[in-house]
Amino acid sequence: MLKKEQNELVTQTGPGTPMGELFRCYWQPILLSEELPENDCPPVRVKVLSERLVAFRDSEGKLGLIDEFCAHRGVSLWFGRNEECGLRCPYHGWKFDTTGQCIDVPSEPEESGYAKKIKLKSYPLIEKGGVLWTYMGPPERLPPEPAWEFANVPLENSFTSKRLQENNWLQAMEGGIDSSHVSFLHRGDLNNDPLFKGAAGNKYNLSDSKPVFEVVEAPGGLFIGARRNAEEGHYYWRITPWVMPSFTMVPPRGDHPIHGHFWVPIDDESCTAWSFDYHPVRALSDNERNAMKDGKGIHVKYVPGTYRPLANKDNDYLMNREAQKAGKTFSGVEGIGMQDASLQESMGPICDRTKENLVGTDNGIIMARHRLMRAAKALAEKGTLPPGLEIAHQTVRSAAVILPPDQPYKDAAKEALVAKPGVAQTSV
Amino acid sequence: MLLSESARVTTAHEAGFRVQYPNSKPRAVKVVALDAGSAKLVDDISKMAWNGAAFFKSLSFEDGALPGTSVKAWLNDLAGHTSDLSAEVASADCVVVLASAGQDVQSAAVISELCNLHHKTLVSLIVPHDGATEDEIDMSLRAMRPYAKMLVIAHGRDYIEAMLTALRA
Ligand code: FES
Ligand SMILES: [Fe+2]
Repeated sequence: MLKKEQNELVTQTGPGTPMGELFRCYWQPILLSEELPENDCPPVRVKVLSERLVAFRDSEGKLGLIDEFCAHRGVSLWFGRNEECGLRCPYHGWKFDTTGQCIDVPSEPEESGYAKKIKLKSYPLIEKGGVLWTYMGPPERLPPEPAWEFANVPLENSFTSKRLQENNWLQAMEGGIDSSHVSFLHRGDLNNDPLFKGAAGNKYNLSDSKPVFEVVEAPGGLFIGARRNAEEGHYYWRITPWVMPSFTMVPPRGDHPIHGHFWVPIDDESCTAWSFDYHPVRALSDNERNAMKDGKGIHVKYVPGTYRPLANKDNDYLMNREAQKAGKTFSGVEGIGMQDASLQESMGPICDRTKENLVGTDNGIIMARHRLMRAAKALAEKGTLPPGLEIAHQTVRSAAVILPPDQPYKDAAKEALVAKPGVAQTSV
Repeated sequence: MLLSESARVTTAHEAGFRVQYPNSKPRAVKVVALDAGSAKLVDDISKMAWNGAAFFKSLSFEDGALPGTSVKAWLNDLAGHTSDLSAEVASADCVVVLASAGQDVQSAAVISELCNLHHKTLVSLIVPHDGATEDEIDMSLRAMRPYAKMLVIAHGRDYIEAMLTALRA
């Protein structure tokens, strides 16, 4: 349970809010590279952290992310002409470069210098790992570029997708650190999904639906270990890292690519769920890539031409009661990503946490909320930079391991939880 | 196009129609300090307002048989009263034990035995003191791992408060 004020604190991320300022300390993934595929391609509207922006790639390939609305009379620059190193408003022809600087006001003599006095707010936009990232905080605090492993392996080793999720970011992110739902909600998929099936570890998930948890603070966030019984008194551990504020990874299965998520607020009632899959040491196979494109694993199928899932609230998520009854799916919704999203959207746009009844095994979620609130307050009151900015905080990995009962995973799996170039994931 | 039911009911407006009746009854959370360091913490935290959580600063033992357990034990609360550990666990919904990192916490075994007997969830918080070493933390993890359903390493008193609040203790 959270008190009403606490719930507002952790869910509101607009400009000037404590959690909004916290998010503005980090690079956020906002677009796929494919959305701005070439120089002078059509501009794209983006809303992130409750700010409406437009992104474009200019004639020289420079990336720009600027205020969506023309400084003249407020037309959306999504209608703009992306040409000759700038975005020109189609209404009266004002033109802006990738930094938001106005470079042409056709009605005024160039010599008057009028254009120089007009500048739209802009944020840096960089490309890494097939993703475009922005940083929306004060320039003097610009952090090092994203060091996440998925964004730094060769492109042929990775596949990243995004989908619109129509609810607040936090209830989505909490699903990513809530290991105990897997044995219920996703149980039908462990042995069927091409990106999950066949792993030796799956049998422990299915045979032991009451895992025991160990939550350990990590410098950048948390490690949440879920332990199930394996053979000969050993434990099968699945370890999920959470890095502040909204990066989570799913523990691997066999040699399948590892995957995880980023949950980025669009506004307080919707977020972008980023889903990445990568293999640290090899290219994805055609089969794997095709399965991901086809919406398998943690990815989804889309309404054509959009990033909205094909199964969405407008069609009741294609609810299939027969499949639910037959146990093919636990909730009646198909696909791991949509199983999570449908339930999280059903909580309402902003989950009312004053009504929930948490149990002892929800401590991962309790701790994550606590750390978020503590970091947001420390930033607001003392200017203390939050965890998760350092490269070492970002170079984490999930792991699945079998350990003797007396070994703490935080030590025994220490190496496994660090992303090292050229070293494969530790998995069962 | 007609809106689906899911689309109609997931708006902020509709969220305002959640029934206003309570969906739970108060739960009995028992918080037990396993060593002197955590007794101090429990003492501080107990002074805040709680929904009926009970706080105990130590345990004492006596030889003698008790159904299902080998040891007879009492809990000592902050006012100096003692109560029967088995009865306290039996009437609990959730038992939270606090252990300072590196301290000997053999009493956890007794509590755990009773939690199993009465089918109660045992949550264990290991609280590292300032300057606690990895070895001390590991020792506590090893000691508590066989018993707790949820084992958390939590720096600072504020987390304990946050957790108890989250559990509606
Ligand atoms: S069982 Fe967890 S939300 Fe209903
Ligand atoms: Fe899930």
